[in-house]
Parts: sequence; C-alpha cells; structure tokens
Amino acid sequence: MRRPSMTGGPAGAPIGSYGLLGDTRTAALVSDDGAIDWLCVPRFDGEPIFGRLVGGAPAGTFRLGPAGPATLVKRQYRRHTATLETTWAVGGHRLTLAEAMVAEVGGRLLPATLLVRRLTAETGPVDAVVEFDPRLGAEHRLPRVRHRRRAVVCEWGSLAVSLGCPPELTVEPGRPTLVTVVPGRPVTLVLAVARHEPLVHVDPAAAWDLVLDDETRWRAWSAEVDQSLPFREPVVRSLLTLRLLTYSPSQAPVAAPTTSLPEDPGGVRNWDYRYVWPRDASIGIAAFLGVGKIHEARGFLAWLLHASRLQRPRLPVLFTLYGRHAPRERDLAGWSGYAGSVPVRTGNGAAEQHQLDGYGWVVDAAWVLVQAGHRLYAETWRAVRGFADLVARRWREPDAGIWEIRGDAAHHVHSKLMGWLALDRALRIADTHRLPRRQRQRWQRERDAIAAEVRVRGFDPARGTYVRSYGSSDLDAALLVLPLLGIDDLESPRVHGTIDAVRDELSAGGPLLYRYPPGRDGLPGTEGAFLPCSFWLVQALARIGRHTEATELFQSLLEHASPLGLYAEEMDPATGAHLGNYPQTLTHAALIQAALAIRDAGQPRHHPTPAVAAEHRPDH
Amino acid sequence: MDWAGWALFGLLATTALTAVMIAAQLAGLTRLDLPLVLGTLTTADPDRARVAGFFIHLAAGQGFALGYAATFALVHRATWWLGGLLGALHVVVALSVLLPLLPGVHPRMASHRAGPASTAALEPPGLFALNYGIQTPAVTVVAHLVYGVVLGLLLQAR
Repeated sequence: MRRPSMTGGPAGAPIGSYGLLGDTRTAALVSDDGAIDWLCVPRFDGEPIFGRLVGGAPAGTFRLGPAGPATLVKRQYRRHTATLETTWAVGGHRLTLAEAMVAEVGGRLLPATLLVRRLTAETGPVDAVVEFDPRLGAEHRLPRVRHRRRAVVCEWGSLAVSLGCPPELTVEPGRPTLVTVVPGRPVTLVLAVARHEPLVHVDPAAAWDLVLDDETRWRAWSAEVDQSLPFREPVVRSLLTLRLLTYSPSQAPVAAPTTSLPEDPGGVRNWDYRYVWPRDASIGIAAFLGVGKIHEARGFLAWLLHASRLQRPRLPVLFTLYGRHAPRERDLAGWSGYAGSVPVRTGNGAAEQHQLDGYGWVVDAAWVLVQAGHRLYAETWRAVRGFADLVARRWREPDAGIWEIRGDAAHHVHSKLMGWLALDRALRIADTHRLPRRQRQRWQRERDAIAAEVRVRGFDPARGTYVRSYGSSDLDAALLVLPLLGIDDLESPRVHGTIDAVRDELSAGGPLLYRYPPGRDGLPGTEGAFLPCSFWLVQALARIGRHTEATELFQSLLEHASPLGLYAEEMDPATGAHLGNYPQTLTHAALIQAALAIRDAGQPRHHPTPAVAAEHRPDH
Repeated sequence: MDWAGWALFGLLATTALTAVMIAAQLAGLTRLDLPLVLGTLTTADPDRARVAGFFIHLAAGQGFALGYAATFALVHRATWWLGGLLGALHVVVALSVLLPLLPGVHPRMASHRAGPASTAALEPPGLFALNYGIQTPAVTVVAHLVYGVVLGLLLQAR
C-alpha cells in the first residue's frame, strides 16, 4: 500500500484517510487499506469491538482488502449515499471493496447493527485477506468463538457478533484468512451485532440488497436538498455526514463517533466526543432548516427539549445520546493511543461546567424555527422562557466559555454576546407568543445591560475589536458569530474590526484559524487550527457583504477536506493533517451554514412577519 | 368482589400514582411523563397529549385495579401490605415488560432500531425505563407501591 506522508495511527494511517460508515445508530471508521479500526456497539457511545485506531493491535480490527502489495486507485462514496467504495490495483487487476451499514432495519427481521462488505475483482482473480479480530471494551476482551453454518459467532455474555461468509470461506478470529476473488463472483461478508437479543443471520445476497435499498433512500433524501445551493456536492456530503452522526432513536447528534483522536499527536489533548452538545444540535437545526430538511431540524429541537427536561432551566454542557448525564471522565489503562497520544479517555469532564453561550445557541435555534413560520408548543415556549430567565439572572457570572477551558472561569465576551442573543431571540419569539409584561421588561433590561457592559469591558477601542475576555488582549475566533447576532449593525466598525482582527491575529496560514492564541489554555502541547472557526469566518464575511472573499475562502477550505469530503475538528496548519475526533459534527454543520450564508448573501433577505408566523400550525 | 370500592378507589389510587410521578418529574428525578407518553398515542401536541394521557392513564389504572380487587376477593382479605406486594409485582411487569414493549405499538415512539426514515419523536424508554433518567426505576417503584398500598388500605377499610 502507498501511504500519505503523515503517519500516526495503526499501520501509519492518517486520521483524514479514514472513511465513515454509519447507520444513524453507530458508526465505523475504515482505513484506505480496508481496515475497520473503530466500531462501537450497539450505539455510538457503546463499547468498541474494533478499537485499533486508539488502542493498537490488542483492541481489534476487521480488515478486508488486498493480500499483497497494492496501490490505492480510487476511493469515494457512491454519489449521495453512505456506501464507500475503495479500489486497489493489484498485479494488473483491480479489487474493489464496497461497504456500508444498513440504516433502515425497522419493521423487518434484521439485526440493529448490520455491516455489509463486498469484494469484487476486475480483469482477473485477485487474492484478498480477511483479518477479523474483534475485542470488546476497555480490556480488549477476547470472545468465545463458535462456528455455525456459513458464519463465525463471537460472544461476550449478552453481546454477540456474527460474521456471515460465503460457503468457501472459513474465518478464524485473530488469524488472517486468504480468499481469491474472481471476476463476476463477488465475496460478501456480513457483520451482525445483537445485544440482549438473539442474533439474526442475514444471507449475504439479501444483505447486499438491503444496502442497495438504503442507497436509493439516501439518494432520495439528498435530492430533497435545495437544488440552488452553492457548492451543493460538498454540502450534501456534509449533510449526509451530519445525518449519519445523528442517533435516530433519540434524534441526538453525536459530536463525533470517536474518542481521543489527538488534537496534538503524541500529546494529552485527547477527549471523548461520543456525547451530544446542545450547541451542535442548535447549529444543526439552522443547517437542516436552511436546506429544507424540516424533519431533522424538528428532531434536534425535540431532543434538546427532552434531554434538558431534568435540569431545566439549567442547560448542561453535554448529554449522553439519551439525555443522561455523561459518565465521569477516566483514562483507559493500557490503551496506546493514536500515534502514542495518551491518555485515551472515556467520559467527559466538561459536563460539569457552566457555559453561558449554550443558552444563546438553543434559544436562537427556537427563533430560527419561529422565523421559518413554525409556532412553538406551549411546553417549548415554557422551556425557552426558562432559559432566558436563567440568562437574565446569571449573565454577570464568569463561565467556562465555548472552548471549555478547564481552569478558572472568566468573563468571556463570546459568552456574554451569546447571553445577549438568548434574551434578544426570546424577546423576538415573544412577539408571537404569550409573555407577561414584567418578564418582557426584565429581559429587555438585562439584554441592554449586557450590550452596554460588553461594549465597555469587552472591547478594545485601540485595536477596534472585541476581545476574548474582560481585561484580556487576546482574541477569540468564536467572536466571528458577531455579524449573526444583531447586537451591532452589520456596517458597524466594531463588527468589521473584530472580523479583521481575528483573521489577522489568529491566522494559522491560508484559510485556517486558531480558535485563540496558541498555548493559552493551560494544557501542555499545542493544538491545530480549529476548522469550524474558518467556516464561521466565511459566514461572517458573507454576512457583511464581502461575498467574493467569503466564496474564495470557502473554496480554499473545501480543498482541505479529507479525500472523502470529511473534516475533523482541527487541522495541522503545517501538514494539512486532520487532528482531533473525526468526523466532527460541528465542523460539518459550520460548513453547511457557511454555504447557506454565501447563498443568502446573493439574495434579498426575507423574514416572515410575526403575523405570518402566527398563522402556521404549532409543531414544536 | 367489591365493585363500588374498585370503581372509586381505583381512580384514587391511580391519581395518587400520577401525583407521585409528577412530583418526581418536577423534582428533576425522572423524565418519565406517563400522561405524555400515553397521550401522544392520540396527538403530537405535548400539552393536549398530557390531557388525553391523563384520562388514558386513569382508564389503565382502573384496569389494573380490577386485578388488585379480584386478588383481594380471591384471598378474602385486603391489607396495605398485600396491596404493596401486588404493587411490587405490578411495577416489575411495567418496567421490564410494558414500557420496553411500548415502542412496538406507539406511533410516536422510536425504537432502538429506528433509522433515518423514522418520524417518531419520543425516545424509547429502554429496559427499566432507564433512558428517562437513572432514578426512573426507583421513582416508578415508589409510585406503584403507593398505588398498591392505597388500594389495599381503602379496600380494607370497607
């Protein structure tokens, strides 16, 4: 195999070389040599059965690919689907691996997790290898193995995994098995997972038909996306990625399907992202709504309301897929980490933080729906009022900020601005929803107080820019949301000054930005450029009328995507290597919003009047 | 069989059970909202669903009370502790059988197998309804013990 220059993970695979397979309940990462090095079951936040990505060889893998030397010829998703195709040149012949997870299993006798991998050969027979080595969880537990007709079954108590094979193939877990793929006779392997229920074995041919059915559904889903979108192809790939990372049973968007892919290879900046941040869901609402995907936008809001029910009006920083408290952060002993990046962590310590900005994102998402003509259910409006009340009560307190710095809390300017946003959008919603006069007056008073304070304590008049926190001279790329808020006019020097200052002072080269000056977070090591910030810059530029600049920047960012159009959270500015958990919901949602901003910059803006909004049926 | 007692006290016991559940919800102990879960069988609007669900729950509670009353009649005694025992049995069935089976019949509840085409909005409760909060089983046990004890006490008093 030819490998790109940047090495790090298993067999030297860069993070950006991995492809995503998903069924909207869990996801697998597959390298360009055909190795599934990450798969948690039965959900995104379950235990890994293939964990080599961050656990090394003892954590298990499932490789299906050429047995000997091969050259990667082509790797792509089938257009507007979740099926991944990888083609290698092997000794004058070609070997293609097509693979997908089956998303629609409802209403039929099928396992909840079903992964189908099919090898085909062209022009001549090709030797391929199957390396099937499942290990469960933090301890890399070996399974109890039994063979049944046409399948090998691996069991760990209530969890069972079966690998269905063609009759001529007998796979032994942990040992490579050779198979010759002949043109016209594909070899299909079917991985089925069962937890707390009997295994369902699916015939390989029938399983492949299920993949084709899913492809038809994904194409139909993609066809519904606004045809007038600029950069439609990468936006559709981002939408598909966002949908694949949304846990269908609860409609919760997982931040990323992985844990502990490093922001600093070899360093300690390794976090577990298999949880759900209300911020991501809120941005996702606007992204899906902007392309006409109403059902997905509604699903995110429904999840937000359900998940936050227990602690309302407090909005936790993150939840599990089912809206529970995220488990306590702990290090996994014995896990070697990606490129030696330890510790490998599960759980997330940020769950305990107070972050004021979260309220702004969520209330703004509700406003986006109202603005689009949807009336809120009384219960939803009660929740929004509760969030606004909390902001009005607590905005004067320091918080951890959007970047979840694990030191002392501070008066983050971005947080204050998002607090302003929460109150402002709640007031706008109140134009069409019932609100007591005293409550309205209190929100107006506190909103105006935030604006007044931030303009004095959070603004550096000498440089003409808002700053990261009161009394600091550092900048913060999160301030790029400024033109979206409305606290200052779009023509205001404050807005333009902040955008230009962030672009100049936090530039990581090319279209890339650091989120804050490197090294100012109290952690050892460095980190890469933060990709969502670059897309926020595109959005900001488009919003203030610098359309050409925004378009050029966006195009440049598209060139930084992985070969499959995926993005991690961060990028090494020197090498262009993707860093951090992958693929990342926030980055893809920001990409979609940037494209929408470019589209909207070329169109007259239209906001439904309150009267129009009030006429629509309540559905949130 | 005390038909009049069943008719009146079934309603009272179900109201007590509902009150415990709502109190626990308000205290932030659980997201299990039985009127909402049952009412969304008929409508997607949460506020209307709660009203419909309250009455559906009353009717269901009345049905279960029939079993309690029949058992009391069968053993010729109605006591608080016997009611509590039946409540314990009742809650085991509710948490381990009825709630986990609900996604199979509920039009607005997703199952753990839901895919992208699912338009269901309610999360599945899962085994012991743990998806609605880790304290949900404890709250549900207490509510059903209250239900059984109330029925036992009231029918004993007659």
